[in-house]
Amino acid sequence: MPSATTPVLDVRNVHKTYKLGRVKVPVLHGVDLTMDHGQWTAILGSSGSGKSTLLHLIGGLDRTTKSSNATTIVFDGRDVASMGKGALDRYRSSEVGFVFQFYHLLPELSVLENVTVGAMIRYGRLGYMSKRKETEDRAKDLLDRFGLSHRLRHRSKELSGGERQRVAIARALINEPRLLLADEPTGNLDRKTGDAILDVLAEFRAQHGLTMLMVTHDQHVAKRADRVIRLIDGRVQTDESQVQSPF
Amino acid sequence: MYQSLLTRKYLTSKIMPLLAMAAVMLSVATILITWSIMGGFLNTLLSSGRVMIGDVAVVWPNVGFAHYDDLIEMLEDTEGIEAASPVIESFGMVKLPNDQVELMQVKGVDPASFSRVTSFEDTLWWHPIEKPTSKDRDGEDLRIIRVNDPETKDIDESANDYSAIFTEMEKNGKLMQRPNPITGAMEPAGLIGIELTGLNDRTGAGIYAPMNPIIPNASGGYESDSVFMPSNGSIGLTVLSLDSDGRPVDPVTRTIPVANEFQTGIYEVDSSLVLVRLDLLQKMLRMDQAERVVRTESTDPFAFERDPQTGELRPKMIESIGIDPARVTSVIVRGADGVDANDTREIVKQVYARFAHKHPGEVPSEHIIMLRTWEDTNRTMIEAVKKETGLVLFIFGIVSFTTVFLVLAIFWSMASEKTRDIGILRALGASTLGITWLWVRYGAVIGLVGSTLGTALGTIIVININGIHGWMGQTLGIVIWDPRVYYFVEIPREVEVSKALIVFVVGILTCILGALIPALHSARMDPVKALRFE
Ligand SMILES: Nc1ncnc2c1ncn2[C@@H]1O[C@H](COP(=O)(O)OP(=O)(O)OP(=O)(O)O)[C@@H](O)[C@H]1O
Ligand SMILES: [Mg+2]
Repeated sequence: MPSATTPVLDVRNVHKTYKLGRVKVPVLHGVDLTMDHGQWTAILGSSGSGKSTLLHLIGGLDRTTKSSNATTIVFDGRDVASMGKGALDRYRSSEVGFVFQFYHLLPELSVLENVTVGAMIRYGRLGYMSKRKETEDRAKDLLDRFGLSHRLRHRSKELSGGERQRVAIARALINEPRLLLADEPTGNLDRKTGDAILDVLAEFRAQHGLTMLMVTHDQHVAKRADRVIRLIDGRVQTDESQVQSPF
Repeated sequence: MYQSLLTRKYLTSKIMPLLAMAAVMLSVATILITWSIMGGFLNTLLSSGRVMIGDVAVVWPNVGFAHYDDLIEMLEDTEGIEAASPVIESFGMVKLPNDQVELMQVKGVDPASFSRVTSFEDTLWWHPIEKPTSKDRDGEDLRIIRVNDPETKDIDESANDYSAIFTEMEKNGKLMQRPNPITGAMEPAGLIGIELTGLNDRTGAGIYAPMNPIIPNASGGYESDSVFMPSNGSIGLTVLSLDSDGRPVDPVTRTIPVANEFQTGIYEVDSSLVLVRLDLLQKMLRMDQAERVVRTESTDPFAFERDPQTGELRPKMIESIGIDPARVTSVIVRGADGVDANDTREIVKQVYARFAHKHPGEVPSEHIIMLRTWEDTNRTMIEAVKKETGLVLFIFGIVSFTTVFLVLAIFWSMASEKTRDIGILRALGASTLGITWLWVRYGAVIGLVGSTLGTALGTIIVININGIHGWMGQTLGIVIWDPRVYYFVEIPREVEVSKALIVFVVGILTCILGALIPALHSARMDPVKALRFE
């Protein structure tokens, strides 16, 4: 385990420009960000400022745009920005837990299956066979903690927005990732439920040393984080540490 | 793992895969049905076509060859040869009961050995049958064995039992004989194809109703005669007798009583072949054993005599009596069970070589004698039917090739509909290969189900094709296979396992192929792009 002084995540000079035909839409230009192991960081920023884009890049879902200076997204000593396809697939399935802004559940699958599918992908056919029981128990436990134990067999399309969001968070946690990237995880939840979810995440962080990067619009949520950063004009503007990391 | 889970879920929650399955099922069934029926048709034709010709024929046309008894004996002593029989193949003018004269093919056969080489006995039409044929719903067939009902006997013609007569006819047919109407003594008789006289009316039930001949006369009227060929009909046969070099000399005419009529299943044969006893045809053609005067020059160089015709002097000739052995134009051979016709031909070839060495100068040498398998003899017919089968299959193949595109289109739309799911899976770490496999697997399952159902459906339809066809005829009035037009009463209904297997596998492969392109397309998409896909 890296020491507290070495950042577990080291993002340097990240650029992203979308191309719409001939029009270039620069979104990120030179994002720098470091996170310590077990740190909980909240990202604030106006709509369209590129918060989701940054999370996608760190999560290995998208590639950065080349710039004059070297871009690196180093997680635990390995550069995500220059990883090959296979390594990136493994990084996504085993290191990162991702909570999407729009939940993105698989509509045909039940709630339980939506959570376990992450483990199926990670372990492959044979691997999953031997871990099936264990994974399902963990999934049930997570869903139980999120107050969804009575919904296990329901299709995800039968759920409310808040319920879907909780399933999506459970899915992100099923493989016990070391990095959780959450895009407005409590955006659709009332304060009480939102707090309960954040409690579970905090517990996870304490148990597994989870490093969390969380996009939010909610000041209340931001207050619970160790540190808040602001994304303005495609750069990290403010880096206001609130509390010290517990590690 | 997630692939099988999603395959299952997608299959059960969408209508699209059901459509794809139905498309595959129908194409597979169509191809299998077409192929089976055309193939069955070909097989039926092939087995019908070989009825009268054995497996291999040793042929020396026209003049024929001698010592055939010896050849037959040698052949029958050989391993791999079941039986052999002498045959003369010739042509003759046949006068039919309505006084019409037509050129027909005439075969002289020896019924005893001919029946060992061919299955001609099975083709004799007039014999008693236990049950009406499948299309003869009203039981109109005269040949059916019935218990005579005295009440209806004289009113209803079809209630009569003629089995005694038909039993007699069958026996006579096999022995090629018929009792003389006056003396009652058996005399040699011939067999003719069932379509030859035109007096047998083939009904929609696929059976024959005998009719009386109508004989037109010069004054514009006509006479009718009460004739039923196997009981009192006969034909007039005229052939040209041959001299010892095989050149035609004089016409010879005989009246041949008809013992029975045969149906081989090949119209050509049934409408123009006459079988007569070998010895009779040998006599008519002067191919029987004969004594002849042989003149050789005297060995005395000074002996002269006057030619009685020209009066000129010539060297003295000595006259002696020589024997010309009987001849036939071919010997037909049946190979032992399991020996293929080409192998039989090789065996016959070797035997013939020994035979030719035994009779040097008296029989054609082994280099020029013709040896034909039944396939050689029927080549034109076989080729024609094979070509037709191929053509039909080709057309249906193209039609079914559209299934590939259908499956492709269906998969393309299913894959696009599921692009967001693919994006999610990719975001969760699923590899390109894993996603490709998801769709290929999905296609394979659809193909497997569709192909299985299609093969089953096709098989069921082929096996019950006659029932289905009969039902169509009764309820919808659609009769495609009319026995009056087609020669087989029943539509062939065998499904070969190999064909079913090929169609089955191709059906699955088609689906995999159709799924592969959308699979690759969707697997290659960037996760983020896929997630934003609407
Ligand atoms: N694939 C894309 N192609 C073109 N433009 C894009 C694409 N994805 C994002 N953008 C643009 O990039 C900008 C940043 O988008 P992003 O989703 O990161 O914003 P955000 O900060 O998450 O906003 P929100 O708070 O509303 O979720 C937006 O202006 C958006 O239109
Ligand atoms: Mg966003």
